[in-house]
Amino acid sequence: MLLNSFVFDRNRLMGLLTMCGVLTVSCTGSVAPQKNEPVATGVAVHVRQVAQTVPSACAGLFIEHPLDFMTSTASGTVKNFESNGSGVAAGDLNGDGLIDLVFANLGQPAVIFWNDGHLNFRKQALDVMDVRAPAIVDVDGDGQPDIVFTQRFGPPFWMRNRGGEFERVNLGNVFEPAYSMAWADLNGDGRLDLVTASYNAELAKEQANNFLFNRIGGVMVYTNLGDAQFSATKISPEAQGLALLVTDLNHDGRPDIWVGNDFDVMDEIWLNTTAGWVKSTMQPATSHSTMSLSVADIDNSGMPAVFESDMKPYDVGVHTMVEWLPLMQTMRKSQPKDDPQVQENVLMQQRGNGTWQNRAPDMGVDATGWTWSAQFGDLDQDGFVDLYTVNGMIDRDFFRHLPNTELVEQNRAFRNLGGSGFALADDWGLASTSSGRGMIMVDLDNDGDLDIVINNLLAPAQVFENRLCSGSSLEVQLQQPGSNHFGVGARLELQTSMGTMTRDVHVGSGHISADAPRVHFGLPKDATINKLVVTWPDGIASSVPSPAPNQIIEVTR
Amino acid sequence: MNVTLQKTVPVAGSPVLVLLNPRQFAGPMLWALALGGVVASLGAWRFDLPKWAMTAIVIGFWLPVMAAKWKAELPKLGLVLTLVSVLLTTQSLHTLEHVAQWVQYHLFFWTLRESNGFLSPLNAEWVHFVWNVYVLAAVFALVIGGMRNPFAWLLLGVAFFHTIEHTYMFVRYQMVLLELQQLGVGTGVTAQGLPGILGRDGWLARSTFTQGTFLCSLPGLTTATRLDVHFWWNVLEMVTLAAAAHVHLQRSSIKVHDSFQPNDQNLQSAPKH
Repeated sequence: MLLNSFVFDRNRLMGLLTMCGVLTVSCTGSVAPQKNEPVATGVAVHVRQVAQTVPSACAGLFIEHPLDFMTSTASGTVKNFESNGSGVAAGDLNGDGLIDLVFANLGQPAVIFWNDGHLNFRKQALDVMDVRAPAIVDVDGDGQPDIVFTQRFGPPFWMRNRGGEFERVNLGNVFEPAYSMAWADLNGDGRLDLVTASYNAELAKEQANNFLFNRIGGVMVYTNLGDAQFSATKISPEAQGLALLVTDLNHDGRPDIWVGNDFDVMDEIWLNTTAGWVKSTMQPATSHSTMSLSVADIDNSGMPAVFESDMKPYDVGVHTMVEWLPLMQTMRKSQPKDDPQVQENVLMQQRGNGTWQNRAPDMGVDATGWTWSAQFGDLDQDGFVDLYTVNGMIDRDFFRHLPNTELVEQNRAFRNLGGSGFALADDWGLASTSSGRGMIMVDLDNDGDLDIVINNLLAPAQVFENRLCSGSSLEVQLQQPGSNHFGVGARLELQTSMGTMTRDVHVGSGHISADAPRVHFGLPKDATINKLVVTWPDGIASSVPSPAPNQIIEVTR
Repeated sequence: MNVTLQKTVPVAGSPVLVLLNPRQFAGPMLWALALGGVVASLGAWRFDLPKWAMTAIVIGFWLPVMAAKWKAELPKLGLVLTLVSVLLTTQSLHTLEHVAQWVQYHLFFWTLRESNGFLSPLNAEWVHFVWNVYVLAAVFALVIGGMRNPFAWLLLGVAFFHTIEHTYMFVRYQMVLLELQQLGVGTGVTAQGLPGILGRDGWLARSTFTQGTFLCSLPGLTTATRLDVHFWWNVLEMVTLAAAAHVHLQRSSIKVHDSFQPNDQNLQSAPKH
């Protein structure tokens, strides 16, 4: 239902802005600005409001719903890097307004869970297995979201969406093996480009000769040329890339790349400059075995904070120490001078002068267990993003002293204390012990709050339905012309009575998982919304004045 | 004939140094250290001795000489002042162990696990637990014996809480070992070096009772590594011990000064007032 349309003004580049404004008006046609609205240099948008569904009965916590799916291995036991499990992706594959789920799997086929509403799902197996990371993106720009997988021993491929039927196709000129991936419009041409990172430890272990003699792997940037054809650039030959993050780190309007490497290979930051990809000076601190990357504005200051997860026991009790000690003997033997790596989580927050500071210890999130995936999201809708980490490990070398060689750990939910720190929210019912790997936060039932989906290893996948029933929310989904339909890379600022909240549209974060391109803002019930400002991936801004809370809006350019 | 020290050397208000002066034992002590060093080096060369064993050998050569010194001084100084001398000497050496750890970690950039000084690799928990019990007992004995001044009381408190911390770590160490044994995890796994009450990842920083409070981020107290926390524990202990001893020795100066013979090597060469 078309309820309103707005034209707003905020330009960064006058020439581009004027041109795009003209193009947009001509493209959207039906979206005429209201007569009294100031038509200036902004880009025209129209806003479609979708009322949220009524939430289920409040419970003050999350309700677990196991899914008929489990990441398993071919042998039934966990060997080597099978312990890393696989991920989960979210996106509206059929355009019905409900977010569908795609689970990768190792020993069994990957599956789609079609969302039929009210947390009812239809399962469809895909004819692919031994895949790590899924993502839902429109690869060929035909308007239908496709599915992309990275796989254990080969380059990523895509499943072309043909009206709900999926056909496996190679990505043109995408040739390097990849473990993690991220999608973003890196060069501002309107197409989604692909960034991949290999996990060389696994390649060396399982494909020794191929790895040694063919020098495969690394961090790759694949520029989308259209029609699922890409041009490849290797920006780093060495990668233990368990996680990738693409976001604008230096506020120049261009998305940069953060590579989260395992082991002694240091994380890398690649800045997207006019001169090409330039390796940035490393952060003052990074986690040593980076397994997950997630970015958010944790204190509504407008400055990004990147959370890197690592392995560090979340309590110091005798029993926990006993579980971890045999592993701790094997941890790194030396700490080279000027090596910023620490064996714990790191929360690097950017300061006003552009420098970064590790806030993890003083905010209470430096030790969350063997944390595979960590994601930010405003779970309790108080206006500040909370943090959820999924934990556990199965390994017959490190944990042969434990039953089933498994380190059983609780997942940890942390409530944001108004930007000053995080406190364990063990009353939210999220302390699952199912050995989670990939994880996303997404509103599956369109009731306005964030639910959580976890792909567990050797345990059923879980949906945690948010029944905290606190606060209110605004969810925003973007639509724009071109193949980057959902505005991946756009930045949204919600100006409210309690300050300005900033979110990015992204489809890859955490550990080998991909979010839906729908942005969630949580708000206290008494907060009012003044304005939503959308800075599109090309830098042009639009504004939506005073959108009402408790709705999902689609902002179309 | 006994001659007071004040008549022969400028003590400059430092009776502690007078007390610690090896005097006629300086030569033997240097020889013992040199010999111990040679033997330890040979042991390392021929038998690949670990550094704690090398350290123990050096101490093994040095200790008898020091014991002879203390024995010689005992009749002159009495039990309490001799104990002050013993404690000052040995605690200085223990502080050297912590200085070594600090240098290894902060200047050599070794890992925390590697930065364990010279003697601690033998067993960090046993070494430091036993040591701190000894220090606490010695300080307690000194207070009982008459070393009562504000610094002594402070020293007693520091030694007490330091020992509490090491007792906590030692008990946890034993519990971890027991549970590891029950799980069949034997050799190759050390449970040493785990955090204690204070410091980064210590009980105070990670307890559920303190989560979300300022106690979790008290600069140093709950943010420093175990290595740093115990370096500063020992600095504090050493300073308070030296201050307590200084005040006590000043009060006992006549006794100290009167105790040494003028034919003591250093005294003979010292200028007169």
